[in-house]
Amino acid sequence: MNDLMIEATGVGKAFGAQQALDGVSVAVPAGAVLGLLGHNGAGKTTLVNVLTTLLPPDRGRARVAGFDVVREAHQVRSRIGLTGQFAAVDEQLSGLDNLVLIARLLGATTREARGRAGELLELFDLADAAKRPSRTYSGGMRRRLDLAASLVGHPEVIFLDEPTTGLDPAGRLGLWEIVERLVDDGTAVLLTTQYLDEADRLADSITVLSQGRVVAAGTSAELKAQVGQRTVTVTLADVADVPKAAESLERAGLQPVAAANALTAPVTSSREIATVVRALDEVGLEATELALGEPTLDDVYLSLAHQPRAA
Amino acid sequence: MTTLAATRTRWRGTGFGTQVLVLTQRSLRALVSDPRMVVFSVLQPLIMLTLFSQIFASVANAPGFPQGVAYIDFLMPAILVNTAMQSSLQAGVGLVTDMKNGVLARFRSLPIRPGSVLLARSLSDLARTTAQLVLMLVFALAVFGFSPAGGLAGIAGALALSLAVSWGLGWVFLAIAAWLRNAELMQTVGFLAMFPLMFASSAYVPISGLPGWLQAVAEVNPLTYAVDAARAMALAHPVTGVVGALVTSGALAAVGWVLAVKGFRRPL
Repeated sequence: MNDLMIEATGVGKAFGAQQALDGVSVAVPAGAVLGLLGHNGAGKTTLVNVLTTLLPPDRGRARVAGFDVVREAHQVRSRIGLTGQFAAVDEQLSGLDNLVLIARLLGATTREARGRAGELLELFDLADAAKRPSRTYSGGMRRRLDLAASLVGHPEVIFLDEPTTGLDPAGRLGLWEIVERLVDDGTAVLLTTQYLDEADRLADSITVLSQGRVVAAGTSAELKAQVGQRTVTVTLADVADVPKAAESLERAGLQPVAAANALTAPVTSSREIATVVRALDEVGLEATELALGEPTLDDVYLSLAHQPRAA
Repeated sequence: MTTLAATRTRWRGTGFGTQVLVLTQRSLRALVSDPRMVVFSVLQPLIMLTLFSQIFASVANAPGFPQGVAYIDFLMPAILVNTAMQSSLQAGVGLVTDMKNGVLARFRSLPIRPGSVLLARSLSDLARTTAQLVLMLVFALAVFGFSPAGGLAGIAGALALSLAVSWGLGWVFLAIAAWLRNAELMQTVGFLAMFPLMFASSAYVPISGLPGWLQAVAEVNPLTYAVDAARAMALAHPVTGVVGALVTSGALAAVGWVLAVKGFRRPL
């Protein structure tokens, strides 16, 4: 028995001639968040569907919460929560009735179900709208209800397929906080997203999918290190000073690139800011602005996700 | 934070019976909260009842028509069977609506059996059809002077048979819905299938009153047997075909069940 809550090995799935997943492996321990990044059609949702037993894989094996997703689908389903891209709630029922329904289907008594529904409505700021039909809810409210619905059974593993799509900034922040709390409680989370800041903020490790393959995997810091370097950007008051400044930086061993009245040079550590300042000082120049640039996940995403195939 | 997961009194799922019960309650709750559906679904057969009882009233004098029977008493059992048939289409439409609605996507990720979702759909539609038919009978008795020789027992028999037909046929539409997954297409297919069945039968005039080729169709039309059996019970005539109608409904339900579960398992 290992403590991996999600363990997929070489999962493949084709739709006709199109290879939606081509040998994907992921591993998520309890209390960890895996961010699955990729553009539309990269295979994110297909992987979620396989892991949540909705779609049988053609190849490979996957275990969730210790159970095989094909042979022990029922056990898997009783231990997971799924929030898909489209709110899976009954629009004819009120928010309260939706949650009670799910708790009852999971085996709660009516009293337990009402208790749990009340907790979740409170938590997701839906208590005031509890008795209104959910078709009258706003898009954000519906998504919150959907997320609440996936938490009814205290799942050990939660799948969030682009959970903040359609949420306003406050809604996104609220959702992030809830995910963080779930993780603190030991829940394993698999999150697919196109928002890089979301993966950066929430995920312990990130897997980048492209055309059904894993093109990169690692922590956010590892991926950034793999792609980009840190840079120092110096902005000068006068464009005429740029050649002189460039010369001084080159003497200091840097390789600046000029753009308008600014110079950008790759650096290996933040200590090289001092080198830059000294070099400029020697030629009597002063920077109006000095910035240390960190590579962003956007850089990772753009440089990796559009590669057709990683070797 | 305790409210999220710390109170790990986990629920692992529940038995088939509870699943069906909870899901049936769910569909009925939606029905009660919006009873327009029942009201409007009664309107159409009521209009048919009004028109046909006026238009075809002279049929009662035609040769081949049972002696001493009022046309309304002849017509009403057929209207019951027809309404029940049309109502069965709604089971399929309801399933497609649930698919669109997103709630089925939720059910599929829960530890419940596909069969319980379908059975619940079928049972709640049976309840809806019962309400609809009872409402129609009340109208027919109160307004149209429906008073067949079979009395209440005969009417109850005709009602029960209509419900059995509706239930069996409902499974066929559930199967079609599980595969087609398109409400408009379902309605069209259903209408195309049922409209000719309705008229090429003994529903509105005795078979002997139909042109020859239509008689041939009506003779093999299963609806003829259901209508004849329901009518015989209502009119206290010698009853034939009840067993046949029940067996046919049962067979449709069984085939529908197998195909519906199979279709339902396919990914959304």
